[in-house]
Amino acid sequence: MAASQAWFLARRAGREFGWIVTLAQAVAACALVLALVLTGLAVVGYSPVAIVTRWACGAAGGVYPLTSSMVEACPLLLTGLAAGLTFRAGVLNIGAQGQFLVGAVTAVGLTTRWLPAAAPLVAMPLAIAAGALAGGLWALLASVLERYRAVPVVLSTILLNFVALYLIRALLHGPLQATGTAAPQSPLIPARDWLGVLIPLSSFHWGVPAAFLVAVGFWWFNTHTTWGFETFAAGLNPAAANLAGIPVRARQFLIMFLGGGCAGLAGVFQVLGVTHFMTASFGDYGYAGIAVALLGRLNPLGIALAAIFFGLLDVGSQRVQESTLALPQGVADVVKALVILFMLLLGAYLARRRLRVTSLPDAAPPTSAGSAGPPGGVN
Amino acid sequence: MLEWFDLSKRFGAVTALQGVSFSIEPGSIGGILGENGAGKSTLMNILFGLLHPDAGSLRVDGRVVMVRSPRVARRLGLGMVHQHFKLVDTLSVLENIALAVGRGPGLIPRRRLGRQVQHWADQLGWRLDLTEPVGRLTVGQQQRVEIIKALCAGGRWLILDEPTAVLTPQETENLLDSLRALAHQGMGVIFISHKLAEVRQICTQVLILRRGRTVYAGATAGLSVEAMAQKMIGRPLEPLTRAASSAGLSSQPRLELRAVCAGGGRRGGETLQRVNLSLQAGEIHGIAGVAGHGQDLLVRCLLGALRPTSGEVWLDPALGHWRHRVWPGACIPEDRRREGLIETLSVQSNLMLKDYRRRPFSVLGVCRFARWRQRATELVERFDIRCRDLNAPVGTLSGGNQQKVVLARELADTPPLILAVNPTRGLDVGATQFVLRQLLAARYAGAAILLIHSDLDELLSISDRVSVLYQGRLQATAWPAASRDDIGRLMLGV
Repeated sequence: MAASQAWFLARRAGREFGWIVTLAQAVAACALVLALVLTGLAVVGYSPVAIVTRWACGAAGGVYPLTSSMVEACPLLLTGLAAGLTFRAGVLNIGAQGQFLVGAVTAVGLTTRWLPAAAPLVAMPLAIAAGALAGGLWALLASVLERYRAVPVVLSTILLNFVALYLIRALLHGPLQATGTAAPQSPLIPARDWLGVLIPLSSFHWGVPAAFLVAVGFWWFNTHTTWGFETFAAGLNPAAANLAGIPVRARQFLIMFLGGGCAGLAGVFQVLGVTHFMTASFGDYGYAGIAVALLGRLNPLGIALAAIFFGLLDVGSQRVQESTLALPQGVADVVKALVILFMLLLGAYLARRRLRVTSLPDAAPPTSAGSAGPPGGVN
Repeated sequence: MLEWFDLSKRFGAVTALQGVSFSIEPGSIGGILGENGAGKSTLMNILFGLLHPDAGSLRVDGRVVMVRSPRVARRLGLGMVHQHFKLVDTLSVLENIALAVGRGPGLIPRRRLGRQVQHWADQLGWRLDLTEPVGRLTVGQQQRVEIIKALCAGGRWLILDEPTAVLTPQETENLLDSLRALAHQGMGVIFISHKLAEVRQICTQVLILRRGRTVYAGATAGLSVEAMAQKMIGRPLEPLTRAASSAGLSSQPRLELRAVCAGGGRRGGETLQRVNLSLQAGEIHGIAGVAGHGQDLLVRCLLGALRPTSGEVWLDPALGHWRHRVWPGACIPEDRRREGLIETLSVQSNLMLKDYRRRPFSVLGVCRFARWRQRATELVERFDIRCRDLNAPVGTLSGGNQQKVVLARELADTPPLILAVNPTRGLDVGATQFVLRQLLAARYAGAAILLIHSDLDELLSISDRVSVLYQGRLQATAWPAASRDDIGRLMLGV
């Protein structure tokens, strides 16, 4: 009985400290993958020790590397929220990339062309608000298509990504093109509209802590508000939620708007805080966000951790690539993909172990002596 | 001869089975009775190789066998018909059977298998279109496919887990006849149920389990239904008491359907034809009828999910307006796992699924979880919901307890209007009584209750008025002046 007793304890612990288990899972996955990749690299002839030290130093060895990693994590966190919030509500928003681009281009347009005479104090906040709003509306478009034309959100968001991509290309070739260039490229945003840098000589703009605040805000929204409860219930079982009187459709619209807003904000922060101008290839943070959301288990705080992890990985791999080791950039992507795969595998494995135990008859409190018998989960 | 001796099985601290023995001869039908959680499913899973007993042995034809997996069970001739069918909806009847019979890769022996299937179907007097996709068959027909599947796979012992829970009265009769026919041909049949009358009707031997222990194992003859019930639940079954109808307390109805028509259309199927119905405070209005005669449409019209093609649904203005498409009262849906509960969510959240938006459970959109907990604890106590812990996912509870969660949520605050659809589906005797009592209690408290139920006896036991739905037409009866047989005839349209 010792083994089953241990399982009982483990299960109780799993329920009460679910996040610790998840975290342990993530750490285990990372360790496994790193071991795997490093062994692979050693076989091919790279020195694993040199790579790891380079990687660690490049990502977190000092204030400057650390801030770069955080700056890299910022858009990942926001697009991760865009995917995670909506997935949790049962809406498969794959369109964070499009929402991200639309948000960025709105901010660029407002700061460089459409608001030239505005007072400097107004332009930046206005651009931020408008960028987030544009991202939200872009996401909402998919929900509207589903509501009135029965187009699945998965499909429409993917397709809207392409629409967004070509839309910004058209804008960057047309009204938003910088003068004196033939490239699809916007003019430089006036420096007064840039997001302020919090740590001198680094790129650590205040959008980064703001993004983390947004994550905390959504964690609170999910766990403490009725709307958070409603979206979760609607995501798990729309039919039951509907019958219980939850306005499922309205909540899905809301969450889609909020998620799109996050992705739009990611675009705004990226363009106002990091690049300061926009080209047609503006980064794939939207797609990476889906991976971040999955790694973070759709929990805003988990997504924040996952984004930091991805940021460290990306920045570190850039340093390794720039160094004499000349490790190809692709390795970082391989590691990211493998970590997620292992996370999901471990998660599925644990879920099966857990299921095998819980699907058997449940323990009734030994003191209860009524008629209806202990619940038998299988019946 | 299929026998088992002293089977025991424990899960952690819980004893699911303790020293259970029984035997069945070929050519006879044995019954296994027990409430939800009594150990029936554990026993079945052991027989079918999904679980392994801690102690005890299993013998087939006098040979001790170890059933390590369902595959071994099948090879030994044990055929299982699960309560929830294991069929692929999009595949044809023949393909589904081929799935179970098939051995390794290769072509499906359509011709040979088809002959075999036809042979069994003829033997049992069933008509089956082998090319029909299973998803288009009725539940009764799907069950036949399951039975033939088990037979074609070489089953000599047929184990049926609550086979009549989903069937209409006629289908049930047919099934029982077929099982008798199978027994005549030398098959051994194990019939698991908690419908006592059926067990008494067809089983020669019966095994009654309570909390994992044998309460009775022996001949069915000489055992009355009451005695069986008493053995099963461990105390005498109290009769339901229903005071004289208090209907008409208020002449003003709370809900009316006026000449409502719905359904039909291009795809055919169920219709509602000029349905008139009124529901008053303090009454239970029962809608009897064989499933598939428009109950589904009626429910969807009431809940606002479907707009009638003509006619009107009228609600007491104090309750709300039907136009808002929100059912203003309580609803006990037919499929609790799909519509009544969110299985992966905790018991507490499921109990609060309606009240969460009310003060004091949330203030300005912020949840007050301490209040939730307080309320959930109170409901669990009041409705005697057996759960280890309020945070356990509701899907881990037994069927009866799941239904209690639904009842607790819906009925706790004496709603003015209640719609209950097959509220005792899949529940054992004790839980069924509990549900019916709760509905009666709500009636005394002044609720207007519309009860759509396919179990006629239960329906008649608590309804003040009874109407019958047949092919989309609703016909009032003179119940309680009318007899049960009259109502039964109306259900069959004769």
